[in-house]
Amino acid sequence: MEWTKQIGRYIVVMLLQVLLFDQLQLWGVCHPYIYILCLLMMPITLPHSVDMIIGAGVGLIMDTCCNSLGVHMAACILLMFIRPYLIGAIVNDKDRLNEQLTLRTLGMEALIKYVVIMVLIHHLTVFSLAAWSWAHIGFVLLETLVSSILTMCIILGYNILKYR
Amino acid sequence: MQTLLKILLRYSNFLVFIVLEVAAFLLISLNSAYPRSSMLSTANSVIAWQQEQINDIRGYFRLRSINEQLAEENIELRNRICSMDSAQNGESFHYATAKVVQMTTDQLHNYLTINKGRQDGIQRGQGVRNSEGVVGIVRTVGQHYSVVLPLINTQSNISCRFAKNDYAATLQWDGKDNRFAQLTDVSSHMVVNPGDTIITSGLSPVFPEGIPVGIVESSYLKEGDSYYRIRVRLNTQFKRLKYVEVVQNAHQQELEELTHGMD
Repeated sequence: MEWTKQIGRYIVVMLLQVLLFDQLQLWGVCHPYIYILCLLMMPITLPHSVDMIIGAGVGLIMDTCCNSLGVHMAACILLMFIRPYLIGAIVNDKDRLNEQLTLRTLGMEALIKYVVIMVLIHHLTVFSLAAWSWAHIGFVLLETLVSSILTMCIILGYNILKYR
Repeated sequence: MQTLLKILLRYSNFLVFIVLEVAAFLLISLNSAYPRSSMLSTANSVIAWQQEQINDIRGYFRLRSINEQLAEENIELRNRICSMDSAQNGESFHYATAKVVQMTTDQLHNYLTINKGRQDGIQRGQGVRNSEGVVGIVRTVGQHYSVVLPLINTQSNISCRFAKNDYAATLQWDGKDNRFAQLTDVSSHMVVNPGDTIITSGLSPVFPEGIPVGIVESSYLKEGDSYYRIRVRLNTQFKRLKYVEVVQNAHQQELEELTHGMD
C-alpha cells in the first residue's frame, strides 16, 4: 500500500515537472526541478544501493525530457548517496523517524535544513554539469540560487499542507 | 581473500555510487561528442508527441503573432518563387517544412524539437532556417521527430560572412541573450559598422549561400587586440518560432565524403 502511494506520487510529480515546470521560463534563470521532492521524501526503508539505482532511473527519465543525457542522472545519484548521511547528521533521535521522512517525524527545523541542503546540492550539480565550463559560473550560480528558492518553497509548502 | 570480500561488502554502497556516477558521466561525455541515441532525447516519439500536445494548447494563446509570422512567410515565399523563375542556377537545395514541437530559449544549451524525422528524409547535420533567417543544425534524428541545435546554444558554430565584402567569420553564442550572438575571427584591419548585414557563407554544405543571419549591433576593438568583438542582432526571433524549413542538400553526403577524404 505504502509503495503504490510512493509510485503514484512519482508519476504525478514527474508529470507536473515535465508538463508544467519545464515550460516555465521565468526571467531566464528560473528552472525549478520539483521532481526531487519524491526522492527527498521517500521513506528510508530500502537498502542504500537500491535508493541510488532509483535515483539513477528517475534522473535518466528527466534527462530524456530535457535533452541533457547524464546530467540529472549524476545529480540524483549524488543526492541519494548523501541522503542517509545527511539525515544521520541533522536528526538526533533516529527512533522517532520511524523510517518516514515527513514534517511530523522530522520537525520543522530539521526538515528545512534537510530540504535546503539537498535542493542546493542537486540544483548546483545540474546547472554546473549542464554548463560544463567555468565561463558561465556567474550565470550558473544565479540560476542555482533563484531556481533553488522556488523548489524549496514548493517542497516545504507541500509538506506543510500535507502533514501539519 | 576473505578480508578483500569483507572490504568490498563494507564499501559496497560506495562502490555502487562510483559505478553509477561513472555511467552518468560517460553518458554526458558521449552525448556532447556525438548523440547516438534518439530514444534518450526529445526525439523520442512518446515524449515528442506529448510535448506537441502541450505546444498545441499554448499555440492558441499566440495565434495573433503566429498569423503575422505566416503572412510574412507568404510574402517571402512569393519573392522566392519570383527569383527562382528569373534565375535557375542549378542549386541542389530542397526544403522540408516542419513544425516546432518543443523548444527552450533561456538556457545555455537550448534545443528545439521538430515534427519531421528519418521518415521524412531528415538527416543529422542538415541546416534549419525559417522565413526570417538561420535557425540551427539538425543534431539528433528519430523516426518521426528530430532535435535541432539552434544558434542560441553555446555549442553552436555557424560559418557566416559579411554581405558587403565576403569576409568570412564564425558565429557563436555566449549564452546570455537569445536575441544576440557573437561573431569571432574578424581581424582588426576590417572596417565594421553597426548595421552591416551578416549572411551564411556557403562554405559548408549545410546552408546555401546568402541566408540572412543577423545585423551587426555593435563592434568593439580593444587596444592591442587583433580581433573584433562583434555583437550581432539575430534575424530569427527564437521566442516566437513556430514553423521552420529543413535545408536538404542533395550533394551533402558527397561533399562530406570529399572533405573527410582530405583529413
